[in-house]
Amino acid sequence: MTAVELLATGMLVVGAAFYLAGTIGLLRFPDALSRLHALTKADNVGLLLVCAGLGLLSGNLREAALLLLIWLLALLAATISAHLIARRALADGVEVEMRERVPR
Amino acid sequence: MTSATVWVLAAASIFGIGLYALIVARHLLRQLVAVNVMGSAVFVLLVVAAGPIAGSLDGIPLALVLTGIVVAVSATGFALALIVRLAEATGSISLEHDGEPDDR
Amino acid sequence: MNLAVDLSIAAGLVVLAWRSLAGRDLFRGIVMYIVFGLLLAVTWARLGSPDLAMAEAAIGAGVTGALLMVAYWRLRRISPAEPADPSPRRSHLAAAVALLSTGVVAAIGLAAVGAIGPGGIAGRALVEALPATGLGNPITGVLVVFRNLDTVLEVAVLLAAYLAVRAVLGDRGETLAQPPPQVARLVGALVGVVAPLSVLVAVYLLRVGSYLPGGAFQAGAVLAACGVLLLLTGRLRATADAGPWVRGSLVVGTVVFGLFGVAMLAFGEPLLAIPGTWAVYLIETAMMVSIAVTLMLLFAGAAGLGGGRR
Repeated sequence: MTAVELLATGMLVVGAAFYLAGTIGLLRFPDALSRLHALTKADNVGLLLVCAGLGLLSGNLREAALLLLIWLLALLAATISAHLIARRALADGVEVEMRERVPR
Repeated sequence: MTSATVWVLAAASIFGIGLYALIVARHLLRQLVAVNVMGSAVFVLLVVAAGPIAGSLDGIPLALVLTGIVVAVSATGFALALIVRLAEATGSISLEHDGEPDDR
Repeated sequence: MNLAVDLSIAAGLVVLAWRSLAGRDLFRGIVMYIVFGLLLAVTWARLGSPDLAMAEAAIGAGVTGALLMVAYWRLRRISPAEPADPSPRRSHLAAAVALLSTGVVAAIGLAAVGAIGPGGIAGRALVEALPATGLGNPITGVLVVFRNLDTVLEVAVLLAAYLAVRAVLGDRGETLAQPPPQVARLVGALVGVVAPLSVLVAVYLLRVGSYLPGGAFQAGAVLAACGVLLLLTGRLRATADAGPWVRGSLVVGTVVFGLFGVAMLAFGEPLLAIPGTWAVYLIETAMMVSIAVTLMLLFAGAAGLGGGRR
């Protein structure tokens, strides 16, 4: 494996780990807003790493640019969807736990 | 077990799940989703059963399935209009037989 | 390794199919069905067909999902007392029938997969006949050149669905899927970016569909998705009467394709013969317009479209 392939594979693995983290957050967080927080942040960074890794693997500038465009569009869609879901969640009266929970 | 076998078994299971839901569900919308699920299973079966031709996929079942997807969405659109009209006219969202005891 | 990937995706499909149909919450079931459609698009990509993956994502998951959601909210509006699926019937016969059908379908599939002998005769003939048409995409070749009778009728089916919906719902312009009174400003920005991009992507898919994955159906579905967004944000309005532009675009696909095929008879060619790739582009463009407008009107449940607020 060349250095580029090694780097790209590393990025893919770390990207997948981000997706895993986002999914765990989706499943474990208590309310809609914190779930959104975990999901959008982790998934978008994960997608960036996956696209970057694939772009490196392709070795082709055009494909890498297209992958970057894909990431930007996915970012746009995820942002707006998250915004709309959050608005709806607030309108439905979700309780926002702002205080930090101190374990006793 | 080859990958084709995996897909065939998955398609058959999904078909069975869809058929079961179609029979036991009361809400018309759920029955419509069940029909769509069965259709998707059949599409997968069609493509997998055709097998590859000299490396790539056989083009004819792919075109058939593409046609099938479009026809499925047309039929779904029409079915939804019927369901909405039924709900407006009778206020019920299921087709219960007349005279059968309601075993809720 | 490959088998593990196939197993994961297939298992995911089965689980999602189950989750979309079980449980009491209908809304959750519809959302699960949309996810099922998206995983199915991944399946098509895994099986090696980008055309089907695009079509499934756009039409199967996207448009169908939007249709189901809108119908769900309309039903909620009409009879709010029954939001969820009433408890299903208990039926041992149903379980037996379902298991039997699973067995039959599995037997058919396994027999087809394990069949020894010359298969795919038509497919091989397709591969050989394709270069003569000047096309590079076998699916477009089958749809527009070789089995174009099916495609003419398919576009006619779309038109028939629109007419049937109109017959059932009557002439109503006020659609229950009205835009919310105050659209979030971010969504306005989204429309500003996505709408022109959708047109660009659709035209690209149409142009490129003759030699790469793509084609009229995927392009039409992308335009329809953009149209649904415009309807939801109020830029487009559903109207009770279909204006001439709407009527024209609804029928242009069927008419252009059908007339073209019949016109070929006048030139001494067989019915629906395609003389060159220019004919393919012409027909596909007409089909794309029809598909987009028909899907948008199926979503709106109304007769026509008009301009909304800016």
